[in-house]
Amino acid sequence: MSQTLLPRLVATILLLVAWQAMALSGLLFRDVVPPLQAIASGVGGVLGDSGFYANLAITGFELAVALVLGGAGGLIAGLALGGSRFLSQALERWLNYLGPTPKIILFPVLIMMFGVGAGSKMAMGAVSCFFPIAISVAAGVRGVDPKLLQVGRSLRAGRLQMLTKIYLPAMLAPLVNGARLGFGVALIGVLLAETKLSNQGVGFLIMQAYQRFDMPRMYGLLLVTVAFAAAVNIATDRLAIRLRGSRVRANK
Amino acid sequence: MTDAALLSVSRVTKRYGPRNGGLTAVDDMSFAVERGEFVSVIGPSGCGKSTLFHIIGGLTQATEGRVSVEGEAITGPHPAIGMVFQEESCFPWRNVIDNVAFPLELAGQGRASRHATAQGFIDLVGLRGFEQRHPSELSGGMRQRVCIARTLAARPRLLLMDEPFASLDEQTRMLLGDKVLQIQQQLHQTTLLITHSITEAVQLSDRVIVMSYRPGRLKRTLAINLPRPRTADILVSPEFGTYVAELWNDLRQEATRGLAEAEG
Repeated sequence: MSQTLLPRLVATILLLVAWQAMALSGLLFRDVVPPLQAIASGVGGVLGDSGFYANLAITGFELAVALVLGGAGGLIAGLALGGSRFLSQALERWLNYLGPTPKIILFPVLIMMFGVGAGSKMAMGAVSCFFPIAISVAAGVRGVDPKLLQVGRSLRAGRLQMLTKIYLPAMLAPLVNGARLGFGVALIGVLLAETKLSNQGVGFLIMQAYQRFDMPRMYGLLLVTVAFAAAVNIATDRLAIRLRGSRVRANK
Repeated sequence: MTDAALLSVSRVTKRYGPRNGGLTAVDDMSFAVERGEFVSVIGPSGCGKSTLFHIIGGLTQATEGRVSVEGEAITGPHPAIGMVFQEESCFPWRNVIDNVAFPLELAGQGRASRHATAQGFIDLVGLRGFEQRHPSELSGGMRQRVCIARTLAARPRLLLMDEPFASLDEQTRMLLGDKVLQIQQQLHQTTLLITHSITEAVQLSDRVIVMSYRPGRLKRTLAINLPRPRTADILVSPEFGTYVAELWNDLRQEATRGLAEAEG
C-alpha cells in the first residue's frame, strides 16, 4: 500500500498543478478549464443542492430497474443458450456481434416504445447489461464440471434442483463477473440516455449545466458522478474477490 | 438369472456409431449380483468397464440387452442404485455434512433430520469431526469417502462404484479398502465394484468377473472363498496370493493385447 501511495500522490499533485497552471494561463477560452477553487465550489454546490439528490435518486432507481430487468433477461437467455446446443448454434453468434455494438443507437426506438421519461432510460440500461450477463452466464453453464452434473443425474435431481443446487452454485464466479460487467454498461446506458433526451436524472443535470455554460457546476457533477460509479465498482470488486476467495478455498 | 438376483445384466451390448469410432465397448455381457454379495468387475484399461458402469447406473443406454434391478428394467437412473464415480465429485461449495445430506435434500427432507442421517454415514466412513470442513480442506482419500457416504445416504439397494480409489496412492487405497470391507460388513451392502486392481478385487469380493480387452466380454467368473469378516491382514495370506496369481494369468493376455494396441 505505502509502496503505491507515493507515486499516486505525486501523480495527483502534478495533475492538479498542471490543471491550475492551465486555468490561470488564460491560453484557453475562459471557464473551459476553470481553476481548482471554482471546481471545488462547484462540487460543494452540487453536494449542497437538494435537487441533485432527487435527480441522483431518479438515476439510481432507473439503474436498479435496468439491472433487475436486464439481469433477469440475461440470466434466462444465458441459461437457455448454455443449456441448448441448438439455441447456442442458432443465436450465440448474434449475441457476440451485438454485445459490443453501441446500444445508444437503439435509443430512438426505445423512446418511441417507452416514452421520453424514465422508461426509455431503464430500457437503455437493461438492453446494455443484458448482453454481457447473457454471454458470461452461457459460458458459465458450459463450464460447469460434468462430473457434478452426473452426480445430480444419478441421484435423479429434477430440472429445477439441477439449476438451483448444482448449476447456479457451480457458476458463482461467472455470475459475479457478469454482474460486474453488467453494472458498468447499465450505468453507461442510463447516463448516456439521460444526456440525450430527458428532464431529470444526473445525466440531465450535467447537460443542463453544460448548456448554461456553468462549467464549475458541470465539473462538480462529473466529479461526483465519477466518484459514485467508482465507489460502486470498488464495492462490487471487493464482493467478487470475497466470493471468489471462498470459492478458491472451496476448490483447492 | 434367478429371481433372487438383485441386479441382473443380460446380454448387454454397447456399440458406438461410426462417428464415435465404431467401437463395440461391451459385447454380450451377462451376469447377476445376489443380495448381500460383493462382486468386482475387473479388466484392463479400455475394456469397457466404465461403459458398463454407466449402463447399469442408467446414464447410458445399452445398444442391446437388458439390465434390471429387483426385476425392474433400467431405463434411466434408478433409485435402487447408488453410484460412486471414479473422479472426485464432491460439491466444492458444500461442507462435508451438506455434501453427504445432498440426496436427502433432493428428496425434500428437513435440515435436522437429513443432518442426523448424514451424521450416521459420516461416522461410518470415519469422518467424524470433519462435518463442517469443505472438500478443499480434505485429502483425496477423505473426499472419496465423502462421496461414498453421500451415495450411501440415499440408501441404495446396490452400491455401484467405478474405480473409486484409482486416483489415490497405494497406502490410502489399502486403508480405504479396509474401510469398504467394514462398511460392507456393517450394512450388508450389496456392492458392484468396477476396478483394474487385482488385489483390490480379491481383498473385497465374493466373486470377481474378468472382462476381456476389446470387445469387452465376460472372460470368466472366479469365486473368492476367503473367510469373512476380512481385514487388511488377508493381503499376506497364501490363499490371497493364489487368487491374485490366477486372476493375473487371466488378465495378462488381455492387458498385453491392450498395451500392444495402444502402442500400435
